[in-house]
Amino acid sequence: MLILISALIIMGITYLFIVTEWINKMTAALLGSFIFVLAGIMTQEQAFSYIDWNVVFLLVGMMIVVAILKDTGVFQYVAIKTAKATRGRPIWIMLLLFVMTALISAVLDNVTTVMLLIPVVLLITQELKISPYPYIINITMASNIGGTATLIGDPPNILIGSRTDLTFMQFIYNLVPPVLVVMLISLIMIRIFYRKRIKVSNRDRAKLMEYNERILIKDRKLLRRSLYAICLMLVLFSLQGVLALESATIAMTTALVMLIFSNRKYVEQIVSEVDWVTIFFFMGLFMIVGGLSETGILRTLAHWIVEVTNNDSKLIALTIIWVSGIASALMGCVPVVATMIPVINDVNLAMGGAMENTLWWALALGSCLGGLGTPIGAASNIVAIGIANRNGFRIRFFQFVKYGLIYMTISLVVSSIYIWVRYL
Amino acid sequence: MRLVSLLDAQTIYIEHHETTLVRVYAKLVEKICQHHNLPECCNHLMDLILKREAEGSTTYPSGIAIPHVRLDNLDDTIIGMCVLKKPVVIGDISLKMVILIITDKSSSKLYLNLVATLLKLSRNPAQMSLLMTDNTAHDVIGSFRMMDLVVKEDLTIGDIMTQEPLFVRPESKLSEMGRLMAEHGISVFPVVDEKMRFLGEASVLNYLKVGIPEYLLLMDNLQFLRAFEPLERLIEKETDIQVREIMQNADIVLSPETSIIETVFEMIQHKKRFFSVVQDGKLVGVITAMDIYRRVIRA
Repeated sequence: MLILISALIIMGITYLFIVTEWINKMTAALLGSFIFVLAGIMTQEQAFSYIDWNVVFLLVGMMIVVAILKDTGVFQYVAIKTAKATRGRPIWIMLLLFVMTALISAVLDNVTTVMLLIPVVLLITQELKISPYPYIINITMASNIGGTATLIGDPPNILIGSRTDLTFMQFIYNLVPPVLVVMLISLIMIRIFYRKRIKVSNRDRAKLMEYNERILIKDRKLLRRSLYAICLMLVLFSLQGVLALESATIAMTTALVMLIFSNRKYVEQIVSEVDWVTIFFFMGLFMIVGGLSETGILRTLAHWIVEVTNNDSKLIALTIIWVSGIASALMGCVPVVATMIPVINDVNLAMGGAMENTLWWALALGSCLGGLGTPIGAASNIVAIGIANRNGFRIRFFQFVKYGLIYMTISLVVSSIYIWVRYL
Repeated sequence: MRLVSLLDAQTIYIEHHETTLVRVYAKLVEKICQHHNLPECCNHLMDLILKREAEGSTTYPSGIAIPHVRLDNLDDTIIGMCVLKKPVVIGDISLKMVILIITDKSSSKLYLNLVATLLKLSRNPAQMSLLMTDNTAHDVIGSFRMMDLVVKEDLTIGDIMTQEPLFVRPESKLSEMGRLMAEHGISVFPVVDEKMRFLGEASVLNYLKVGIPEYLLLMDNLQFLRAFEPLERLIEKETDIQVREIMQNADIVLSPETSIIETVFEMIQHKKRFFSVVQDGKLVGVITAMDIYRRVIRA
């Protein structure tokens, strides 16, 4: 009992630090996990055994892929090309960038996508002399929504994919339909809401059309090779079930092949661009959640859920969508998913496999889309707001929440209906 | 070492009459050549002094002239000194003392420290008026012994920095800073409050950055953008923006005691050609890489 209480206290303090960032996230997570070891709740060996190397290497691999791709200038190229393709009509820029961002985020990591696209969006909106706020917020939403569709698109999915034997194609097959519906609703909402509100002068539009985006592609050969490598990666991912390959193997192989293609002098630079702080944050989180499972509290929680819901599969699935969604909005989707995965494992066991994979889809939708709600819901929100703030476009916590909650509520309602209709 | 140890009464004289700088030089050369066996002497030495003088004035606003010559095949430092009872006026400088230093080509550290000590002396009115009362070379030696001036063995930034540098205040407008940049050809200023407390630095790059928003800096390259209105219209913002909005905290400032080698090290390490010199939180000077080149390497 003493162990249980101390474990809960350590976890509580750690999560408080992670959410508030009073101390750096990574530091908090790692510190919390080693305090678990120091307190004798688990041995160091046990702690390390909880680190999910599949996730670690998948993240590292994808970060290397993005770092190389980024250097080809293709992200800025795509953003400017998209804006020009609309011939500078502001509402269409927003709609098309929404779709583009969602597509890119489905394949690549959200934080990088946002980090590369927001500056271009700020430039375009400044040139067109229109307010950047709706663009920033909608692009951030698009990156989270798009990321929900695939195994590699969003951190919660990466975590779920790694701890289950669900394949890349299963994710697509089960998550793309609700994501498409959410996107469609979003696009309609944007069109209705902003259609008459944004005006652009002819002269400013002409300035945008003068951008020579072709210059942005610096190394065509590297870009071509990188795109081939990414296509091959997607093919391998889609054959994951047949080939019985784990995600990390596919991502790392792609990353290493791309490293060989690119200039060997850049290897160190590219590797230094990997977000090691995030990687170690994940490691710390794995160990903390591991420590919690050691105490048995997560199993108790699982049994309690089954008991309270009276074994009602519908109720359990909907509870998971909304609880993980709201919890993600409040404390960030990654810690929520990491904690929920062992719980759902136990619920599935307690239910005797009656739910098949439904609860995983409920968790994926709930946590990815719950992340839309607040600035701290997902890492990409924090990054987008950070860039906007540094450029003098202040987005306050509740300004974001005003839009975030609308998106989150619509998404969770769509997800609930989808799960209900398709699986229950 | 003490300055008096380097002096010799035989090469010091008091000039009671009106005279010119060239005549003082000639007399000092004559005295030095009488008592020392120099590789170059008399007219030739005089030519060297005048040639050096033509490259740049050796008179300082504090009323002192320190001409100097470096000679090959000399392994010594010799000082000649003239106290002018009737000041020689050059421009708006009223010269009270001329000190001729003849030294070898390698010992620039001693020379620079000598100059630093002499300059400090010239800025001390009490010590200067004491020297003005002396009537013989031996009196002068006596005064120097009494003042007990020390020539530092090592040169520090305090010796070669620009004292009383130009600065801006946090509440100054960019237009004010722009005017200073244009008038003095200086690209970076220390920022101080009304009590001269050092707050940070503001450079022409900080100024130009006002026209380049942060989001452009986040991009890999800007070749696609041929022109950018906010940059071109920067001048319109000059009167709206205060220096405090663009200044940056200087992570590293130097103290006057910092050695030359450490200063060069910091400049290279941090790719910074300008440092503020701060003592007890107050700005006392600035030092640039060109100062080091001109006043140490080239001196």
